[in-house]
Amino acid sequence: MNTEEKTGNFITTSLDFIVNWGRTNSLWPFPYGTACCAIEFMSTEVGRYDLSRIGSEYVRFTARQSDVLLVAGTITYKQAPILKRIYEQMAEPRWVIAMGACASSGGFYDCYCTVPGIDHIIPVDVYIGGCPSRPEAFFDAMFDLQNKIKDESYMKQRAERVKEQLEMIKAKTAEATANAKELAHEKVVDFRDYMAEKERKLAKKVQVWKE
Amino acid sequence: MESMESLFPVLESKFGVNRDARDKWGLTVVVSADNLHGLVEFLKNDSATQFDMLVDIAGIDYLGYRSALSEREHEGPRFAVKYNFKSMKNPGHRMSVKVLVSEDSLSVPTISDLFEIANWQEREVWDQYGIVFKGHPDLRRLLNHVEFVGHPLRKDYPQQKRQWLSTNDFLLPALEARLETLGYRVIERSKEVEPNPDEFLEGSIKE
Repeated sequence: MNTEEKTGNFITTSLDFIVNWGRTNSLWPFPYGTACCAIEFMSTEVGRYDLSRIGSEYVRFTARQSDVLLVAGTITYKQAPILKRIYEQMAEPRWVIAMGACASSGGFYDCYCTVPGIDHIIPVDVYIGGCPSRPEAFFDAMFDLQNKIKDESYMKQRAERVKEQLEMIKAKTAEATANAKELAHEKVVDFRDYMAEKERKLAKKVQVWKE
Repeated sequence: MESMESLFPVLESKFGVNRDARDKWGLTVVVSADNLHGLVEFLKNDSATQFDMLVDIAGIDYLGYRSALSEREHEGPRFAVKYNFKSMKNPGHRMSVKVLVSEDSLSVPTISDLFEIANWQEREVWDQYGIVFKGHPDLRRLLNHVEFVGHPLRKDYPQQKRQWLSTNDFLLPALEARLETLGYRVIERSKEVEPNPDEFLEGSIKE
């Protein structure tokens, strides 16, 4: 006898729970490291602290495959559009961690060239203090982020997104109909003018012939 | 250090340089902008000096400068450019050359034909202080972004005035041009993609 037949190979759960479970335990970071915080992230990643304990061992250097944008370091005004574009390229669901004082608030760079906190450019989920942050603090931020993800509802977000898209489609359709109507009206007016012109010409011809 | 002391009279007779009294331990000479190129060429090639390494070029803004010793206002031109040289052939030999730049002219002859590294260092000084290097092949901003207005390390630049950049640099044409000068053939020219939010709905895949 096969054991599978005895136990049955299915589970029952709610969709939100299973989706959040999957998302929580495989947060793949995109390390946008520009300063010393990135070095701390390296030590978080390897041996002693071992970020793979919470399923984040795959560091993805492409925005298309990552879940968490990890901004570790000082962001200058020259870099700001690049960071923004990378955030826009990431597929949803996406989260952002601002690691260290510089990314959170500009740190001690109170000058002409440093962005005072990346929340001027992109939305941030978790801020970490420290200059640079300790790996423990980074772990704490990851746990916070996991708790946040556990509270999210996939179905609600999906409903909202579908609603938004529906509204957008409706607006576009209305716009297109208005355009078509206007165009049709113009054509009718044109045709009327054309007919009036023809009638006038005909009348003229008739008069000429009469004379 | 002996030869460094004997170097100064030679420079004085040849290029009419003055000694900067503020530099007590080393040799800093102040030279006029016209004699700068000749002086640097002499320092680089002459067998007695052989300063073959340009360590740094720094701009100086003396606006509101007060010497710690004399407590007097600074006199003379507002800007200065300082060149630091080091000799790899005579170990331990270092010296600085200073050019005073008035606010009216704001120009110094380039030495990027003598030292390759001077190209970027002069670009940096121009970027931060607005001092023009005459004869420089490619005087663009080096550190600040292209939409930046003003020169931030001048003393009259408001310290916390921030300037946003609207878009990131599109560097591919420059890269292609450089590859072409190296003998590569560019098969397909890249075009910048400007995202248009009206063209597609959020979440959909653009064809």
